Amino acid sequence: MNESLSFLTENLGEFFKYTGIANVTFGHIVMICVGLIFITLAIVKEWEPMLLVPIGFGILIGNIPFFSGLQVGIYEEGSVLNILYSGVRNGWYPPLIFLGIGAMTDFSSLVSNPKLLLIGAAAQLGIFGAYMLSLLLGFAPNEAASIGIIGGADGPTAIFLASRLAPDILGAVAISAYSYMALVPLIQPPIMKLFTTRKERLIRMKPPRAVSQTEKILFPIVGFLLTCFIVPSGLPLLGMLFFGNLLKESGVTRRLAETARGPMIDIVTILIGVTVGASTQATTFLVSESVKIFAIGAFSFIIATAAGVLFVKVLNLFLKKGNKINPLIGNAGVSAVPDSARVSQIIGQQYDPSNHLLMHAMGPNVAGVIGSAVAAGILLGFLS
Amino acid sequence: MNKRYLSLIGMLILLVTGIRAQTTSDLRLNELLPLNVDNYEDDFGIRSAWIEIFNTSYSTVDIGGCFLTNDIKEPTKYRIPKGDVLTKIKPRQHVLFWADNKPVHGTFHVNFTLSESNFVALFASDGKTLIDSIRFPEPVADVSYGRLTDGGKKWASLDRTTPNSTNTIVEPETENNKLLEKDPIGIVMSVTAMSVVFIALALLFLIFKIIGKNAIVINHKRAVRAAVKQEKYNKPPIMASGQESGEICAAIVFAIDDYLKDEHDIENTILTITKVARTYSPWSSKIYNLRQFPR
Repeated sequence: MNESLSFLTENLGEFFKYTGIANVTFGHIVMICVGLIFITLAIVKEWEPMLLVPIGFGILIGNIPFFSGLQVGIYEEGSVLNILYSGVRNGWYPPLIFLGIGAMTDFSSLVSNPKLLLIGAAAQLGIFGAYMLSLLLGFAPNEAASIGIIGGADGPTAIFLASRLAPDILGAVAISAYSYMALVPLIQPPIMKLFTTRKERLIRMKPPRAVSQTEKILFPIVGFLLTCFIVPSGLPLLGMLFFGNLLKESGVTRRLAETARGPMIDIVTILIGVTVGASTQATTFLVSESVKIFAIGAFSFIIATAAGVLFVKVLNLFLKKGNKINPLIGNAGVSAVPDSARVSQIIGQQYDPSNHLLMHAMGPNVAGVIGSAVAAGILLGFLS
Repeated sequence: MNKRYLSLIGMLILLVTGIRAQTTSDLRLNELLPLNVDNYEDDFGIRSAWIEIFNTSYSTVDIGGCFLTNDIKEPTKYRIPKGDVLTKIKPRQHVLFWADNKPVHGTFHVNFTLSESNFVALFASDGKTLIDSIRFPEPVADVSYGRLTDGGKKWASLDRTTPNSTNTIVEPETENNKLLEKDPIGIVMSVTAMSVVFIALALLFLIFKIIGKNAIVINHKRAVRAAVKQEKYNKPPIMASGQESGEICAAIVFAIDDYLKDEHDIENTILTITKVARTYSPWSSKIYNLRQFPR
């Protein structure tokens, strides 16, 4: 009887060693709290729920303490999570997401008013401002570029570049990029208001002209050929983006376009969200570098927003009276589609409820997607 | 005749260079560690001074039969045994001799040490012809004295010992290091990259400005043509596709949306005939899905 009891106690003791309770650290608790905050923000505040729910739950998955060697962790070779994470590590998921984005994006506003493309270019200053700051803070150029791309406000691009240039900081970069994308409605308005006058906020823009089907078909083809000839290293992202858009606009591949912008992008978003979240294991994520990356990420968003708004103001100096652009759409030059365009609309309506800026803001918004992919291609070309 | 001469000369050249390549005169003293405190160990686990010899030629050279000495007056102090396969030094390769005064430990253990004098020499098998020699400075523990490049002329204290391997240690300069050196705060990179982004998007802007202008002209012409046609038949003009204003498009979209949402079947007096669409696709075709029985 005694022997059986001691055997049972021994077995239970052995089992306890394998439980999360026995292996938990303070770091795990902190990260689980972060994951819970993400999920709460997504559900209660509805901030980017499509991203924050998978990432938040991924953080929970990644921070369940376990006894190493069980082949369950994301960094353990051969585990299920590790296999799924290879899509992030090798940069497979971001181009697939770009395919879906291309298939769901309407470039009409950009085609009808192509000068909005330049706003998308100006907002990329955030990337390079953050790149310089990262170098000053002692990061190596490849890491600095990966951190800088957070300013592009484009999660897949940030993951793509960081996976190629600095895989060690991939988790921090991805979490930072997605967090700030979710916080766009909070970060951008004060900057937009700071750099604009009341008179400028009331500018009414000329309604966009109707764009013909031919122009819509030409845009992805010309856009792809031009950008990829200039920056071939951006091929995976730009190629998929424009290809997806051609599927949408050609009018003869409706099923493919629907798959790309529907089930396919949903599947990849789930996989990328969960695995990026799970990659933030406390042991690898809770380091001083992560705090620096978060701080620089915020700085890059501020610079990008300010650059977009200020560029519009400069551009307005050269435009005729009827053709002026409302600087409130300058913030949309950062990618974050369509949140930043929505911010333009909301702020614009605060000053003139009948002034609808959403359609105009979508121009620089989608230009920002192209701009950040081009910028990523350049950084990849220089630093890989 | 000429061909014969040429081939003869060619053969002679090959013969001479071949013989030349296999001579011990191509050997060079390459690196020495006179004071080995915490460095490379021999097969017996003992740390002793060592002498590295480098074969500068592109052929195998047998060092067997040559002499190593630390005394110029005694050139034949240590005769490297002949017949040992290990004394054949492959092209551009190294061989290491332990100056431990323990020749019983094998071919590569000489019968002198480097603490006796600051001199080492390599003599040819005749015991007279000096192949190479070096007078080295006062030894520093674990700091070797060697040629800066394998077989090169300049000798110096090396940053790190490289027994049995090349003295030329070039740290591969990474892209990161190069960039940091040339552009420490990233301003050049930022300006370059921003310029490229601007150029790419500015070109796209120019192209679509031109395309847009042409599209407007074409659409206008179409509209005019349609108007003329309508006038001819005294009918109200119909706008060409793509000429409708944004407001009209929005109104149509809302109307259709409302219409579809209401599902006008609720209106009793209206009969709706909906076409049952069975779009054919080879992917859903039965004939491609059913298994064909073999005949």
